[in-house]
Amino acid sequence: MSSTEQGTSSAAPAEPTTAPESAAAPEVPESFYYVHGKDKVVHKVSAGALQHSALIHGMISNLGYTEEQAKANPFPFENIDGDILQMVVDWCNQHKGKPTPPEDTNLPKQKEKLFDLVLAVNYLEIKELLTYCCKQVAMMVKGKSPEEIREIWMIPTDAEDEAAEKEAKKRAGKEAAGETAAAAGDAK
Amino acid sequence: MSSDSENSFEIPEKLSIDPIYKTNWCDMSAEIKRECIGKMEFKERLSLRCTAKAERSLIDSQKIKFHKGEFWAESDDRFDAVLYSENGNKFSKCLDGGPKTLANKAFEFVKYIWKVGVFENLQISFFVPVYEAKLKDYTGEISAKNVYLEYCDADMVLSIIQKLNDDVESIMTNPGLGGLPDIDSDEFLAIPQIQNVPYWHIANYSKTNSLHKVAQMWIDKNSKIGSTFQVYTFDDGSFQEFLEHCKDRIVSKSKKRVRIRTNNPDRHILLERGFVRIEGAPQYFRLMVIHSEMEESKYDNNCKAWIRKIDPEYYNV
Repeated sequence: MSSTEQGTSSAAPAEPTTAPESAAAPEVPESFYYVHGKDKVVHKVSAGALQHSALIHGMISNLGYTEEQAKANPFPFENIDGDILQMVVDWCNQHKGKPTPPEDTNLPKQKEKLFDLVLAVNYLEIKELLTYCCKQVAMMVKGKSPEEIREIWMIPTDAEDEAAEKEAKKRAGKEAAGETAAAAGDAK
Repeated sequence: MSSDSENSFEIPEKLSIDPIYKTNWCDMSAEIKRECIGKMEFKERLSLRCTAKAERSLIDSQKIKFHKGEFWAESDDRFDAVLYSENGNKFSKCLDGGPKTLANKAFEFVKYIWKVGVFENLQISFFVPVYEAKLKDYTGEISAKNVYLEYCDADMVLSIIQKLNDDVESIMTNPGLGGLPDIDSDEFLAIPQIQNVPYWHIANYSKTNSLHKVAQMWIDKNSKIGSTFQVYTFDDGSFQEFLEHCKDRIVSKSKKRVRIRTNNPDRHILLERGFVRIEGAPQYFRLMVIHSEMEESKYDNNCKAWIRKIDPEYYNV
């Protein structure tokens, strides 16, 4: 399994201090978790960055395992393309512990990537990024006519929809008839 | 320290059963589509609405906020609407045609906008009587915070107010030079939206009984402190009528103000007159529910601001 490391800026161990014990508590080293997408490439992400994802945050909040244990058990997101997961991880790292700006201009402009990103972000429950992505989707059709929107987003016409529905029903009917015939044959 | 057995945690079910994603608008869930639609301007929503039935019902199920909506039907053969989004973008629609066809077409459009729109400010100017019957038949709600009804006749005004949402914050009516001769104050005061609205005004109202009737309604309803009613009229007698009807409640009075007590010891009602030193100017009145402990030194001696609100013609320069 190949591995890339993201957000590896783990805090250095706290220096011994001569200050009295009542002073500020020593810094706790940041913990890291590991995720991989469809391409099995593992990304190392800090717990702070992962806080953006309500799904992952909910999963890890009560685990409390060591870094070695986390490394041995990367979260598998087989339904997310590797490059899309990389974008999500990058975004989480960039916005770790920071207030999110009102606009994000670094999102992909290509339709396929953007829709994949929307779905991944929705699945991972990253609310702020979902808001940006949805804005970007809305921008894709700004000033466009119904025909242009239908073309850009590949929306079938009602007639096409009805034809596809009829075809699906026909196919389902044929399959059911086939199954009945096969069952009758088996019975004989 | 965790044991080895704890090391092999189980993968949550959600991670292992989901399908591989596709990349098409039609593969998005309704929830995500709604989120995207929520970021679209009105024009794009209308375009998307025309692409397919499924999109239409999704768009129509989603409310859209407008900073301002203006609707004019000032003649038989023309209808105009202008909608301003929260981002300041403007959408205009102008319809023309024969009186009957136009009214049908225009009102279909109006009904749609009222169904999906949530207005910060809404202005309706319907001169043409053909819209009156249509308004009466309209059973939906009009969702708006500040409503300005201009040049609408009496029945239209009442009809529109009855359709406003309960949390409307201000209702302003300006019937123009013709005034509102046909509406009695009681007809207004019977409408729950009028009873509960924090601010309302009637410009150019020929009835002189509105002040004491509004005060009585507030007393009966124990209306909130801050409730305000403004009116201007070219007819004499409003101030005198108020004094006569409220004589048993008077706390203090002067040429400019009358303060009366309500049944709630915490609340008084203050009537103020605004004077404009211009020949032919109407008489301006403001009625407010105030705290009973409010000192007279706290009275607002500058009537220009509140007169400007009901009649921008004066003091607007």
